[in-house]
Amino acid sequence: MTEPGHPDGGSRIHETAGVPGTTAETVHTGSGRNRGRGGPVDSMTGRPVLTLRELSVDFPTPQGVVQAVRKLSLDVRLGRRVGFVGESGSGKTTTALAIMRMLADPGHVSGGTIDLGGVDMLKLSEEDMRLARLSRVAYIPQGAMNSLNPVMRVEQQLWDAISAHEGRRNRKELMRRSDEALDSVGLHPRTGRLHPHELSGGMKQRVCIALGMILRPELIIADEPTSALDVVTQRQVMQTLREAQALAGSGLILIGHDMGLMAQSVDELAVLRQGELVEYGDIRRILGNPGHPYTRALISSVPLVGGKSFLRPSSAREAPGSRRPAPLLTFDRVSKVYGKLTALHPLSFTLRGDVPKIISIVGQSGSGKSTLGSIVLGFTHPTAGAVRFEGRDLRRAGAAGKLGFRRDVQAVLQDPYACFNPFYRVRHALAYPYRRFGLARDEAHIRQRMEEVCRTVGLDPDLVLPRYPHQLSGGQRQRLIVARALMLSPKLLVADEPVSMVDASLRATILSNIYDLKDRFGISILYITHDLATAYHVSDYVMVLYRGRVVEAGPPGQVIGNPEHPYTRLLVDSIPWPDPDRPWGGSAGPEPAADHAHVADAPFAYRGSVEGFELVTR
Amino acid sequence: MTGVTTRAARRRMRRFDNPWTNPKLFCGAGLLLAIVALGLLGRLLWDLDLVFTGSAPLKLPPIGFENLRGQPGVPAHPIGTDGSGRDMLALIAIGAPNTLFVGFLASLIGMGAGIVLGFTAGFVGGRTDDTIRVLSDVMITIPPLLILVVFQSAFGDVSLTIMALLIAGFAWQSPTRLIRAQVLSMKQSGYVMMARLSGAPTHHIMFREMLPNLVPYLFGSFIANVTTSIVTAVGLEVLGLGPQRIPTLGRTIYDAISAGALIQNLWWWWGIPTVLLAVMFIGLLLVNLGLDEISNPRLRRLGR
Repeated sequence: MTEPGHPDGGSRIHETAGVPGTTAETVHTGSGRNRGRGGPVDSMTGRPVLTLRELSVDFPTPQGVVQAVRKLSLDVRLGRRVGFVGESGSGKTTTALAIMRMLADPGHVSGGTIDLGGVDMLKLSEEDMRLARLSRVAYIPQGAMNSLNPVMRVEQQLWDAISAHEGRRNRKELMRRSDEALDSVGLHPRTGRLHPHELSGGMKQRVCIALGMILRPELIIADEPTSALDVVTQRQVMQTLREAQALAGSGLILIGHDMGLMAQSVDELAVLRQGELVEYGDIRRILGNPGHPYTRALISSVPLVGGKSFLRPSSAREAPGSRRPAPLLTFDRVSKVYGKLTALHPLSFTLRGDVPKIISIVGQSGSGKSTLGSIVLGFTHPTAGAVRFEGRDLRRAGAAGKLGFRRDVQAVLQDPYACFNPFYRVRHALAYPYRRFGLARDEAHIRQRMEEVCRTVGLDPDLVLPRYPHQLSGGQRQRLIVARALMLSPKLLVADEPVSMVDASLRATILSNIYDLKDRFGISILYITHDLATAYHVSDYVMVLYRGRVVEAGPPGQVIGNPEHPYTRLLVDSIPWPDPDRPWGGSAGPEPAADHAHVADAPFAYRGSVEGFELVTR
Repeated sequence: MTGVTTRAARRRMRRFDNPWTNPKLFCGAGLLLAIVALGLLGRLLWDLDLVFTGSAPLKLPPIGFENLRGQPGVPAHPIGTDGSGRDMLALIAIGAPNTLFVGFLASLIGMGAGIVLGFTAGFVGGRTDDTIRVLSDVMITIPPLLILVVFQSAFGDVSLTIMALLIAGFAWQSPTRLIRAQVLSMKQSGYVMMARLSGAPTHHIMFREMLPNLVPYLFGSFIANVTTSIVTAVGLEVLGLGPQRIPTLGRTIYDAISAGALIQNLWWWWGIPTVLLAVMFIGLLLVNLGLDEISNPRLRRLGR
């Protein structure tokens, strides 16, 4: 509520709004005048299961009333999948919560109607509403997989859902129905006997889908069901969701911010911005001919493998190279073993650092890429082998050497929400290390440097620096972390999934900021990610990690543009593209679980090298 | 309908803006300050020598009442006297602040130990953590009154400070556990990671990054601890243990009970200290509730 509008969001849209599109009657201004849509209606079969008319939601705050949703009108038909897309704060989740009548106090529906299969949801009594939830409309909230009850078996949680709505049922029937529900999401009935901690993230998310579908609701609302999952698991879960929905024949609302994911999963798309529906229609129509500049901006923000660069580096000038007496970073047969699990098999490489390079390390969660990052940062010590930074082993360094190492090796971490101490204004995060490393001459110098770096990453220092972290958006915080790294001018930066928790529309901006660090300020970067499309654009060299081993490595054009190893191919195929006709999550892709043996046996593929980086292959 | 809730909600929000306008905190602090003021004003305006035995007529009622012998209250002793000729006003003017003092001192010492032990356990880990954790877990299972009764009867007469120290010996376990748990979860948080990346020394991470975020918990836990410490102290005093020569509210209740004040209908003797204790507990509860409401940093506004 107190979140200020991002100053960056608006400007980006204007930049990309260059192409004048045929502005058909697609934009709902909320007056209700445009309610009778012409074209797409014919293609929509099935009766509407959900009808929203001029829905408005207000949140009163001390600063005045915030209109989270403004006069939203749309239909969801049986058997259709509708996507709600927009950046955070656009009212996607609020609309879903309004349908569920689960708005957090003091938010409330201030106007309009919500009609679910002929029933006015706003007029239902509290008890009728309770019965309607899950049995008629199911909501799978964001991060639902972490809200499974840890002390109950999965099947008991499914049974709870049944008995809360239909009263007591005998055990045999409960058992049959929970097994059926698990089967419909591709899980073995045995899974039901397990506790949530025994399941992987993807399995937990599937259990949540099973929980949502078990009473065969007419409408399912899935709020970013794959936001915490890597690309491969994302594809599997989306496939499950689509199949389960098709089986039940219900309507589906998919909430998300990734245009690529939407394109591959939904039939119709509703684009929301600041609580208003800016565009609504068939997905093919919107992708082929977006009517609103904001939609165009969302589409163009999706990085494509092989497409033209989505980065807009602010300078084409290469930073001047400098001869170093010793290579910047050397891994000498470094490995890490946790108990029986080998997180990282012996790995040797040398990063010269004479000319700054971006080295991408890609892989699924559990592939060992974060362990690698943590070893570089010195937070994890290798089980065997040696890490040398500028020729010196960190573990033999003294206190001064350690402080110097800290200054020279910095990081941008995954979660921008956790990176700021909520007690301090955000400037603390920038000023403290600057002072600590003895880079500051006086307070005025710190202030001047802070303002400088904020401007470099495109933030207004007067607007951002005096604030508390919770008053800034995720994108702003992540850019501040990039600004912090820039202010310290390290020699090496570890960027661990820097954009995975940021809105898709801001990813390009943040990656451009990071790219600038290399280009303009000569900082070498280790970019750790599961997203091959961004790695394709930013990196000079890519290493694909699979179960702690480098299975393919080389320049991104070859490794990602034309993958040889089956695992790399699987990763590339799992990227959602803004192209509804591309097979994704259908039967076309191989089921990765069944394919593990095949993947593990495939020969490693080393695809050439770049100057200044050398991977020792044996 | 919505209009009403909206306005109520907005009013509720505005209340959060300034912590010092929070009515609960305000009332609670007021009640506690009133007790402190009673002690201070008593020392200035009243003759405190009247706490000595036999300095006044016995068993006089407060003004406007009569005792069983038909004696009316007199202005010289406005809220009556007790069974050994001590003035009640002088008694509570000294006793009430004393009781509060024992509670605060015990809690302060307990919290101090809790902060040090909790941070050590959470930060150092390993054997140190095991030792501290087992120690505090074992201590939590021992009923404090049992041990204190044994201690106090062995010591005989004790001073208020000794008493506070003894109670503090049972007031450090729960803060230790609470802080240890918080430190363990905070150690993994992004901002501690960032501080380590900034080359921050351990004491900076502990006291500048972590501790400020614990302040709401510490305050809440401190006030709750004061309440338990006072309950323990009064419990001991009512049993006739604790300081013998220094007036406290619990001691006064003990005297009243052992002199048969209930049978003789000397209600002011035991009633006034009881009411004061109730006021103290209500004050502490309100402060705790008020702190709960305002300690959420998300409700903090953009400051100057």
